[in-house]
Amino acid sequence: MKLEKKKSSPEIPTSSMADIAFLLIVFFMLTTVISATKGIEHQLPQQDKKTIDNIEKEDSVYIKVNADNTFTVDKEPAASIDAVGMLKDYLYPKLSNNWKKPIIIYVNPEARYESMIAVLDVIKQLESQLQKEKNIPNLTITIPTQAEAETWGYQ
Amino acid sequence: MKIGKTKTVDANIPTASMADIAFLLIVFFMITTVFQVDKTVLVLPRSDVRSEVVKGSAFIVVTEGGFLKVSDGKEDTHPIDQTDVLSFAVDLMSKNPEQPIVLKVDQNVKWHTVDQILDQLGQAHAKNLQFLTDLKVKQEKFE
Repeated sequence: MKLEKKKSSPEIPTSSMADIAFLLIVFFMLTTVISATKGIEHQLPQQDKKTIDNIEKEDSVYIKVNADNTFTVDKEPAASIDAVGMLKDYLYPKLSNNWKKPIIIYVNPEARYESMIAVLDVIKQLESQLQKEKNIPNLTITIPTQAEAETWGYQ
Repeated sequence: MKIGKTKTVDANIPTASMADIAFLLIVFFMITTVFQVDKTVLVLPRSDVRSEVVKGSAFIVVTEGGFLKVSDGKEDTHPIDQTDVLSFAVDLMSKNPEQPIVLKVDQNVKWHTVDQILDQLGQAHAKNLQFLTDLKVKQEKFE
């Protein structure tokens, strides 16, 4: 007598797929940080390039951030850091003619970090404005350290 | 004449596409997930110009009290001495000379603390820096 075999079609069980998927979703939801961290980019000078050493103070825009929440630019009188927006109006004509003009930001050791960021922010705003208008590359921004400032005779 | 029994249809919710939806959500969260290497709470300075931090950037954190923490971008931040930043940076640069470094500094920190860090980063030939900031909120003027 011939026995008939029952044929069961082969299949991969997928009923638990959704469970696994939702488990992964919960994991990624918990570890996700939606508020992306952002900041101001800055390139440190490379020591193999000797160009920095040749810059004369007079050829550059010299911004000084003071300890008492004020700043000075070139030989202009000191202004409060709250009025840092005026720096844009001062720098625009100078840099639109010559974008290669180095900008030196000397920060007093006792000044607050916030003051330096305020100045750097304005210069970066001007940089993006000039990049849109004149299609220039990045501006030359230098923040000398205390040791460098002493060597170059800034302060 | 007697009409035959009405057929009853089983009520069911179609779940065939459940896995597809779930996987779509997984992909979304996988792409947007950023593992934070530092969870120090401090008041960042504010700025208008901000660009996104590159994934895997090293972190140097300075709290208001002047305490330092560092991370190579893979592990969580750990406390470090102010003079050890140089060796930390040299180690980073030997692995990847283009390694971006993020400075997360409290707004009230005095510049000389940051200056010392920048000095050591310069000695280690670090190139790409980023000063972490919060978005500047425009103050409305009331006249």
